[in-house]
Amino acid sequence: MTTVRRILPLALATILLAVGMVAWWTWFDLRGDDASANAAVIDAKTAEVQSSVSQALGRILTYDYQDPATTEAAADAVLAGKARTEYDTLFASLQQRAPGQQLTLTAQVQAIGVKELRDGRATLLVFLDQSSRRAADQESSVSAAQLAVTAQKKGGTWKITGLTPL
Amino acid sequence: MTSQVDTPVDETGADDVDGHEQRTPEPAATRTGQGRARWALVLAAALVAASGVFMGWHADRDPDRAAAQTRDTVLIEARQAIETMNTLDYRSVDAGVKAWSQVTTGTLKDQLTGVSADDRKLLADQKKISTGRVADAAVIDADADTATVIAAVEVTVKDAAAPDSEPTVKRNRFSAELVKIGGRWKLESLQQVAVSLS
Repeated sequence: MTTVRRILPLALATILLAVGMVAWWTWFDLRGDDASANAAVIDAKTAEVQSSVSQALGRILTYDYQDPATTEAAADAVLAGKARTEYDTLFASLQQRAPGQQLTLTAQVQAIGVKELRDGRATLLVFLDQSSRRAADQESSVSAAQLAVTAQKKGGTWKITGLTPL
Repeated sequence: MTSQVDTPVDETGADDVDGHEQRTPEPAATRTGQGRARWALVLAAALVAASGVFMGWHADRDPDRAAAQTRDTVLIEARQAIETMNTLDYRSVDAGVKAWSQVTTGTLKDQLTGVSADDRKLLADQKKISTGRVADAAVIDADADTATVIAAVEVTVKDAAAPDSEPTVKRNRFSAELVKIGGRWKLESLQQVAVSLS
């Protein structure tokens, strides 16, 4: 009798502890779930990233040979990292031929989706419409672009850090 | 916690080994004290169990977690469906059209199921093998049973009528509406995102 009375609480405690440990482990596992860690679509911040990146792309990919400074200022404001260096190369070549061709470029985001959003970093898929017009020879064209974009929040604003045409 | 459990177990074991002869009568007060300590241990363990079960249950039915899983499932199934819709082999048109109807629903499915024998023959006679690959895709919006997805698709077309020719690669932009039917996400519409500069 005495032994049973001694063992019973211990056995109970052991079982309860085991249950508790499994339950807490389950909780921890669910918390660390990769799907939940990605806030894309489910968090209201998604819309903020979408509109920031949309506007940024429109600004840096719109260009007027008579006013390149506006585009350059936009690039300063919204680009960072690798995207910045790559854009600078592109912009330099644009600056060379634009005045002769009297080139203007217009860009507009047609569709945009956030794939991943976590810890102030985002990856997006963007469908972009571009048109170019050369006043010198009256040539104009439109094109449909697909871009993989990465963005990072720096100092309260979203900066584009990567731009890859698909 | 574990050491707290172990210690009393050792005591019990020691009692059994020592046998009954050597037992010195324990003062009643100590015995009650030990008993209380054991039940306190049970209570503590019960708290650990109860809190763990509650937290696990709570995390499991977290709406954000469910939404995140839905989003990820939508993306996987939408990619597969969009690839299927951009894939057709002229040698097995019937199977291809059947695959289309399997990944679609509503009027889109009706249209595909209703592809006439003439149209099928036309597709077979073109001698083209199209293979769709989703280069990238993103969920725009998703709730429990409807979703919108955009996808950048690369379609490789081989012309079997001209076996020496290089396959052509087309890049298309698609927007798709999906609905969940019978546990699967199916395409309700699939449209190219055309250039429309305003």
